[in-house]
Amino acid sequence: MKNIKLLIMVGILAITVFSASAADLTADEIVSKANQASYYAGKDGSAKAHMELSDGRTRDFVILRKNTENSADQKFYVYFNGPADVRKMAYLVWKKPSGDDDRWLFLPALNLVKRIAPGDKRTSFVGSDFYYEDVSGRGLDADMHELIETTDTQYVVKNVPRDPSTVEFSSYTVWIDKDTFLPRQAEYTDAGGVVYRRLTADDIQIIQGYATSMKQKAEDIKTGSSTVITFSEISYDQGFQDQIFTERFLRRPPREATR
Amino acid sequence: MNRLTLTDFSLRHPLFVILAVLLVTVLAALQFPNVHFDNDPENMLSEDEFVRLFHHETKQKFGLYDFVIVGIVNEDNPDGIFNVETLQRVDLLTHQLLSLRKGSNGLGEVITDRSGTAWKTVDLNPTSQFKRLMNIAFRHNPNRMFDADGNSAVIGQELMSPSVVDNIKQAGMGSLKLEYLMEHVPTTREEALVIRDDAMNNPLFKGILVSEDSKAVCIYVPISEKSFSYNVAALVTELTKSWTGSDKVHIAGLPVAEDTFGVEMLVQMATSAPLAMLILFIIMLVFFRRIALIIPPLLLAVITVVWSMGLLIGLGFDVHIMSSMIPIFIMPITVCNSIHVLSEFFDSYRRFQNKTTALKHVMHELFMPMLYATITTIAGFASLATTPIPPVRIFGLHVAFGVTAGWLLTMTFVPAFIKMFISEKSLQKLCAVSSGADGCEVNIGLMGRAMRWMGIMTYKRSTAILFITVLVMGFSIFGISLIKVNDNPVKWFTEDHPLRIADTVLNDHFDGTYTAYLTLSGTPNQTKTCREEAAAIRNEAKARFETLLPDATRMFLSDMDQVESNFNRANQSDPNRCFVELTKRAADIDRQFGSSWTNLADGVNYLDSENLTFDILKQKVLAIDGVKKEDSDVLMQKLEPHSSLTGTELLNAALAVCDNFTALSFEEFVYEMKAEVTAPVFKRPEVLNYIERLQENLMQQGKVGKTTSAVDALKKASYELNYSAIEPGMSQQQIEQRDQMNKEFYSIPDSSAAIGQVYIQLEGMKKKDTLFHLVSRDYEEANIWVQLTSGDNQDMNDVVLDVQRFISENPPPVPLNAQWAGLTYLNVVWQEKMVLGMLSSLASSYIVVLVMMLILFRSGWFGLLSMVPLTVTITFIYGLIGWVGKDYDMPVAILSAMTLGLSVDFAIHFLERGREMYKRMGNWMETNAGMFNEPAKAISRNAIVIALGFTPLLLAPLVPYRTVGFFLAMIMLLSWLATLLILPALIRKLENRLFNNKMNASINGTHEKEGVK
Repeated sequence: MKNIKLLIMVGILAITVFSASAADLTADEIVSKANQASYYAGKDGSAKAHMELSDGRTRDFVILRKNTENSADQKFYVYFNGPADVRKMAYLVWKKPSGDDDRWLFLPALNLVKRIAPGDKRTSFVGSDFYYEDVSGRGLDADMHELIETTDTQYVVKNVPRDPSTVEFSSYTVWIDKDTFLPRQAEYTDAGGVVYRRLTADDIQIIQGYATSMKQKAEDIKTGSSTVITFSEISYDQGFQDQIFTERFLRRPPREATR
Repeated sequence: MNRLTLTDFSLRHPLFVILAVLLVTVLAALQFPNVHFDNDPENMLSEDEFVRLFHHETKQKFGLYDFVIVGIVNEDNPDGIFNVETLQRVDLLTHQLLSLRKGSNGLGEVITDRSGTAWKTVDLNPTSQFKRLMNIAFRHNPNRMFDADGNSAVIGQELMSPSVVDNIKQAGMGSLKLEYLMEHVPTTREEALVIRDDAMNNPLFKGILVSEDSKAVCIYVPISEKSFSYNVAALVTELTKSWTGSDKVHIAGLPVAEDTFGVEMLVQMATSAPLAMLILFIIMLVFFRRIALIIPPLLLAVITVVWSMGLLIGLGFDVHIMSSMIPIFIMPITVCNSIHVLSEFFDSYRRFQNKTTALKHVMHELFMPMLYATITTIAGFASLATTPIPPVRIFGLHVAFGVTAGWLLTMTFVPAFIKMFISEKSLQKLCAVSSGADGCEVNIGLMGRAMRWMGIMTYKRSTAILFITVLVMGFSIFGISLIKVNDNPVKWFTEDHPLRIADTVLNDHFDGTYTAYLTLSGTPNQTKTCREEAAAIRNEAKARFETLLPDATRMFLSDMDQVESNFNRANQSDPNRCFVELTKRAADIDRQFGSSWTNLADGVNYLDSENLTFDILKQKVLAIDGVKKEDSDVLMQKLEPHSSLTGTELLNAALAVCDNFTALSFEEFVYEMKAEVTAPVFKRPEVLNYIERLQENLMQQGKVGKTTSAVDALKKASYELNYSAIEPGMSQQQIEQRDQMNKEFYSIPDSSAAIGQVYIQLEGMKKKDTLFHLVSRDYEEANIWVQLTSGDNQDMNDVVLDVQRFISENPPPVPLNAQWAGLTYLNVVWQEKMVLGMLSSLASSYIVVLVMMLILFRSGWFGLLSMVPLTVTITFIYGLIGWVGKDYDMPVAILSAMTLGLSVDFAIHFLERGREMYKRMGNWMETNAGMFNEPAKAISRNAIVIALGFTPLLLAPLVPYRTVGFFLAMIMLLSWLATLLILPALIRKLENRLFNNKMNASINGTHEKEGVK
C-alpha cells in the first residue's frame, strides 16, 4: 500500500516536471490538467470547510468526495456542522459531467430527504457567492478554450461557452499555475465586456503529494459581496466506501463526516 | 426720503434706470444655463429627516430599488398573456433591458434577439423638433441611462420578470425543481399554460408578477437612481413600439410618475407661462388700448420672473416642482400693481395732460396702498419660510423677493419707461379719441354702469349683503371641516394621461402598484442570560428524558446547575460559552448511558446491504464493537416482525429501531436547544406566526391588495419540500389524505431549526439574496411588502393606523419595533408636515398682516375691516374645497399664501382711497358713489386681468397647474366681490364709528402737505 502511494507520488512529480517543461500544451490539455488537479486529486478526499460570507453569515461543513474509476463521474457528500439551525443538514451529489447530476438533500429538522431535479448548476451554493458548479467543477466540453497568454508561471486560458443562453457570462478567463496546474484565478465577463465575478484560489499546500488550495474566494464585483472558504483537515485516498454516498447515509451521517 | 424719491429719480434719469434694470436682467438671465432640475417629491423632506433616512436605510438593508413597472396586458387572448407570442415578447424585452449597455456614441445598445449576438442602438431623442429643443433648453438628455462609470441604469440582478425570477416546483419522481419561472420560452400553448399554473401557485408571483386573471404580467425594472425612470420608461416604449396585436404596454410606478412630472413640468413652464403672458397682453389691450402703455407691466412681469429665477438658480437651488410655480405666482401680483398705476395714470393724464406730472400724481396717490399691499404679500409668502419643507421655504422666499422686485420696478422702471418710450402725442391722441366721464377707457358704458349699480346696491341692500355673507361664512366653515388632506403624485396627471391610464389598468388587474414597506425589528442585542435559557432547557429535558433515562436526566440536570453557577459566578453569561460547556458534559452522559445504541446504529449503518437477510444481520450485529448484548437483543427482537425483509429495506428497518434509542442523546438535545433558544427573531415560529396574522389583518384593510413577507416564501418552500406526490394506484381516500397532508405543509415549520433549514434553501437559489428583500441577512429584521391599490396619502395613512391598532391590540410574542418606509409612505409624511406647516404659516402671516393693517390705517376699525375680504375669501375657498371634495393637496396649500396677498391688496386700495374721498365728501353716500367710479373700476380691471390671464393654466396636462389656475380665478373673483360688496356694506353700517373722530387720520401725516406740483 505504501509503495503504491509512493509510486503515485513519483508519477505525479514526473508528470509535473514533464508538463512544466512542455511549453506546447494545447489549451484543451491545460484545462483538462487543471480540472484534474483541482477536482480529481487522489481517489477520494475529504476536507473540513469554514465558509464566511461578507455579510457575516457562516457555514461549517465537511465535504467528502470519491472518484469513479475510468470515468469523470464523482460523488460528493456535504455534511453541515453549523450554524446551529442547519446542523446535520446534508447534501449528496452524484456528478456526471456528461449528463445531469443527481442531487439529494436531507433536512433533519423536517426529517426529510428530497431529491433535487436536474437543473442549472450555476445556482448559489447554500446562499454563498459560490455556485454548485464551482464546488463540483464545470464540464470541460461546455466551453471552447483558448490559450491567450503564457507567462513565466502561468497559463492564461479564455473560455467561451458553447451555448451562451445557458449561462450568465459571455466568457471567463482562468489563470493556471504551470507547476501545479491549479487554477489560481478566474474572471467572468458579461455581455458588456465588464468583469463582474472573480474566483481565486490561494494558500497552496502540498498534502499527501497533491497541491491543494486551502483558501478559495468568490467575489461578486457588481454587488460587492464575497465568500471565502477556508479548508482544513484535508486528507486524500482514505478508501471511502461507495455506500456512504447513498441516501441511507444522508439521514445518518457517515463517521467520516462527523468525526 | 419721501414717497416720490424713487419716482423722481427715475423720471430724471430714465435711461440710467432702464439700463440698470437691463443689466441686472441680463445678469440674472446668465444664470439660467446653470439650472438644475429636481423632480423628486422626496426632497419635500429635509435630507436629515428621520423617515427619509430610515427609508434609505431600509432600501439599503433589504436591497430595494425604485422600480419602473412595465405592465403588459392582453385582454383578447383567451389565455391572457400566457400565450406563446406574448411570453416570447416578455422574455425578449426582459433580456433586452438586462443587456442595456452604453455604446461608443453614448447611446444605449440592446440585443436584438435572444441569441444575444446581435446588438442595436437605441436613440431616444424625440422626433419632434419642438421637443428636442425643449430637451436642450432644459438640459434633459433623453439618452441618459448610464451612471458616471457607464453602468446601466437598470440593476440587472434585481430585475423581476418571469424569465428571471426563481421558482420552486415539483418535478417528476418526487423531486424538487429550482429554476426560473420561465426558464425556457414556451413554444406551445401547453408550455405557456404550465408557466401560468406555476406562477399562480407561487404567492410571490400571483397578483404581483402576473395578474390573477392571467391577463397581465409586470416586469419590475429596478433603477439605480429615480432620475433614470423617465428615460428607462421611454426605452421600454421604444422597444415595444413595434408590438402589434392585443399586447398593450403600460408603464407605471411612483418613480416614473414623479420623474415624468418633472419633465412635463418644464414643458408646462415653457408653454403656459408665455401663453398667460399673451392673454394678459390681450386683456390689457382691451382695457387700455395702447400697446405702448401695456408693455411696461408685461415687461415688468417678465423681468421680475427672470430676476427671481436667476437668483434661485444663481444661489444654487434646484428648480423643484414647487419652485417651477414661482413665475406663475409672481406674475399676477406684479401685474396687479402696475395695473393700479396704469388705471390711475389714465385718469390723471386726462387731468394734467403731462405725463411727468401725471406720473408723480399717480405715484403719490398709490405709494402707500401699494407699499402696504406689497408688504402684506411679502409677509404672506415669506411666512412660508417657517414651514418644515425645504422646497416650500425656498419657494416662499423667492416669491417674496419677486414681489419686492416687482414693487421696486413699479416705482422706478414703469415711470422711466413711460418717460422714455411713450410720447405725449400718442397719449393725447389716445385720450382725444375717447369722450365722456371715463376718459380714455374703452368699455366705459358696461363697466361704468355695472359699478354704479353695484355701488347703489351696496348702499341700499347693505343688510342683505351682510346677512348673505354670514350665511356663506357659516356654510364655508362647515365645508372646511369636510376637507380631506390628500395627495397622490399619479393624480398630478390628468385622467387621459398615459400614466393615469396605466395606473388604472394595472391596479385593476393587479393587487396594487403602490408599494410601502413595513419593517419589523426585534429589540437589538436582547441576548438572554444563561439563567433564562436554562429554565427552558431544564423543563424540556425533564419532559423528554425523565421517564426513559431517570439517572442520566438527574446527572444532566445537576451538570446544568453547575455550568450555570460557574458562568454566573464568573459574571460571564455568554450563552454560547454555556452551550460549549454543556455540550461537553452532555456528550459525557451520552457515552455513559447511550453509547451502546449509538455504536450499534453506526455499525448497522455501515453494513453491506447486498444479500442481507435477517439471519445474516443477526450474526453481523453481534460482531459490532462496543455494543451491549441486551441492546442487540432488543434490536433483533423488535425486527422480528420484519424478518422477511432483505437488503436495504431490512437495513432501514433496523436503523429505524435504533433511531428510537439514539434519539435519546443529551448532546443532540443540547444542540437542538441551542438552535431554538439562540434563534434570531425571524426564525422563531411564534414570531412568524404573528407576522402571518399581521398580514391577514392588513388584507382586511380595503386598500391593501397584497402583502408579501418572508413568511410567504417560507410557507411556499416548506410546502414544496414536504410535498409528496399522488402515486398511481392510490385510492380516492388515500389521494384525499395525501392532499390534506400536503396542504398542511403549506405552513410555518414548528421549530427554529426547521425554519432555518427551509430558509437556507431559499438563500441558495439561482438568484441568491432574493429572500433578503424580505428579511435581513441576520434574520433580526423583517420587511413586509405592502401593496396598495391607491397611492392616495389618505389611504396609506389609514393602513398605517390600522397596523398601529393591530399591534397595540395584539402584542407580539417578543417586543417588535414597527416602522414604515417606501415612497408611498414618504409622501404621507411630507404631506402631513406641509399641511401643518401651511396652517401655522397661514396663521402667523394672518396676524402679521393684521398688525400691519392696524399700523397702516392707525385705526382698529379700519384695520379689522381690511381683513374682511381676505378672511371671507380664504374661508370660502377652503369651504368650497371641502364641499366639492377636492383633496387638500400641495398646490391648494400654497394658494393660501397667495390669497392673503391678493385679497388684502384690493381691500387696502378700496379703504385707503375711500377714506381719502370721505375727507372730501364728508358722508358715505357720496363717497360710495365716488368709490364706485374710478377706484372700483381699477379693482375690477385688476381682478378680470388676473383671473382671465391665468386661464391657460386650465388647459395644462398637469393637474397642480390646473388647480392653481382655477383657484387664482376664484380668489380674484371672491376678493373682488368681498371688497366691492361686503366692505361698502360694512362701512355703511359702521359709518359713524369709522369716521367719527378719525376724520383727519390718514395713512401718512405728510399727505396733506404734499401736493402735486
